[in-house]
Amino acid sequence: MYDSVKTTPLHEWHGKVGANMAVFGGYDMPLWYPTGAKQEHMAVLTGAGIFDTSHMASVTIDGPGSFDLLQGCFTKDLSSCIGKNKTPIEDGRCVYGIFLNRDGTTIDDAIVYRMGETSYMIIVNAGMGGEIADHLKAHTGNLEAKITDLTDRLGKIDVQGPLAARILQGIIKKSDDVFQKMPYFSFKGHFDASSPLSETVRLTNDTPLLLSRTGYTGEFGFELFMDASHLTSTWEMILDAGSDFGITPCGLAARDSLRAGAVLPLSHQDIGHWPFLSNPWLFALPYNEERSGFTKKFLGDEALRTAEDIEYTYPFAGYDLRKVSTQESACVFDSQGKEIGEVLTCATDMAIGRVGEKIVSIASPDKPQGFRPRGLSCGFIKVQSKLFSGDIVEIRDSRRSIKVVVVDDIRPDRTARRPLNDMVWKREEDI
Amino acid sequence: MKEIDELVIPGDARYAESHEWARLEGEDVRIGINDYAQDQLGDIVFVELPEVGDTLEKGEEFGTVESVKAVSELYMPLGGEIVAINVDLEDTPEMVNQEPYEGGWMILVRPSDQDDWDDLMTKKTYLDFLKGE
Repeated sequence: MYDSVKTTPLHEWHGKVGANMAVFGGYDMPLWYPTGAKQEHMAVLTGAGIFDTSHMASVTIDGPGSFDLLQGCFTKDLSSCIGKNKTPIEDGRCVYGIFLNRDGTTIDDAIVYRMGETSYMIIVNAGMGGEIADHLKAHTGNLEAKITDLTDRLGKIDVQGPLAARILQGIIKKSDDVFQKMPYFSFKGHFDASSPLSETVRLTNDTPLLLSRTGYTGEFGFELFMDASHLTSTWEMILDAGSDFGITPCGLAARDSLRAGAVLPLSHQDIGHWPFLSNPWLFALPYNEERSGFTKKFLGDEALRTAEDIEYTYPFAGYDLRKVSTQESACVFDSQGKEIGEVLTCATDMAIGRVGEKIVSIASPDKPQGFRPRGLSCGFIKVQSKLFSGDIVEIRDSRRSIKVVVVDDIRPDRTARRPLNDMVWKREEDI
Repeated sequence: MKEIDELVIPGDARYAESHEWARLEGEDVRIGINDYAQDQLGDIVFVELPEVGDTLEKGEEFGTVESVKAVSELYMPLGGEIVAINVDLEDTPEMVNQEPYEGGWMILVRPSDQDDWDDLMTKKTYLDFLKGE
């Protein structure tokens, strides 16, 4: 199968700097760079990290039927999804949701971007572009919607961490305009130079970007989309601009530990071939205010409404950094020693530790003086019986058994939702 | 990831297929994991070692090393009694990455069978073994 392993245009760069590589989602990707995954993880909390995420796939839908097609196939209700007042999606906004099978199981999770009234972009996981495009085509029916799989035609770079905007400000034209009024889950610009939207966000070398205030770390930052031919030059430009800020290239290991601590699911591991129910990510479903039903019809809704014998997915945190391995299988036992389920993800968030029972992060404003955490294991379990925050369970692999606690949240004081205005350089007269 | 010719593989130690190194010190043998192993594992965040006084056989698991990526077993390159363990690794497991043959050593063993030592690979045979892997 070696021939079928794909690479991103930055593959040579990763090799040149000595990254430790592994195949993920069909792509040979960096696991970590010589800096090491621990420092990479820390950099995203305290400075900035840069990730090559060009393995992720993108699909576009264009035409008057696009909205209805997405309403029928994507779990988020696009007519009521923005802000507290649940207003309809608008140009420049994006939302997280799920593509379900008719039986309520997950095909993939995705972020849907509204590029225009009849034009959407969908970002799905590595290797999923073809499958999601086929799925949408199969459900297009009489709708007028053109579906295009852009797999391997786009480059994608994530710049994550509290210094992300300050670094990008130095290399984006008219950055004062770009970096304002850009709430979490919004975007500006376009990667296609022929789109009028592409005038909004250009690098100083004129490369058009789609700049999205999203990410997979729980921290403040951006995802940048560009034509694949501009990936390497953009990567090097950001590294150069970020060198004074200690920008750190980060691999998939840090990406995994950061997202686990931020309670974000990995598709096909934490969500997958079981009904998308009773998990920490139900905000992806279009529940009505009373949570008695859904605000729209969509593929899989009936199965979710009538599901029986559902399993429950919960985040957990450990008491030290030791993990169990989920490569074989790791099981969950309740306080009576009864086996109740399996471990989906177990990673170590190396930036957190316990002060008494409370979890504290190196980025917590109220951390004790001299706080130097060793890290805590954390992740997700899927169990047959209902558990509550604070319940202690044991997770066990062939090697060891560790005590962990069911929690609502893991890494505290994350920066993803911080007001943009606090995260940018202000012009001198504003200071 | 280091290329084979970038690895530090000291000539005064012997090596096991599971990438432990062993170095004679008088009657005892000092043991750790080699540069190839630490490079493959990435940041080591926790090391579990046996108790002093334990007697373990060649090939038996003597502990685990936990990296950000995974938890891996450590195997006895030769059988014998554990006469010392590196207690410093409890607070500074990163020593295994930084100086695998010095501050990152793991156990000191009194071998029970001299033949075990002779079975271990020299630097040259170990490097040939790595190239074939």
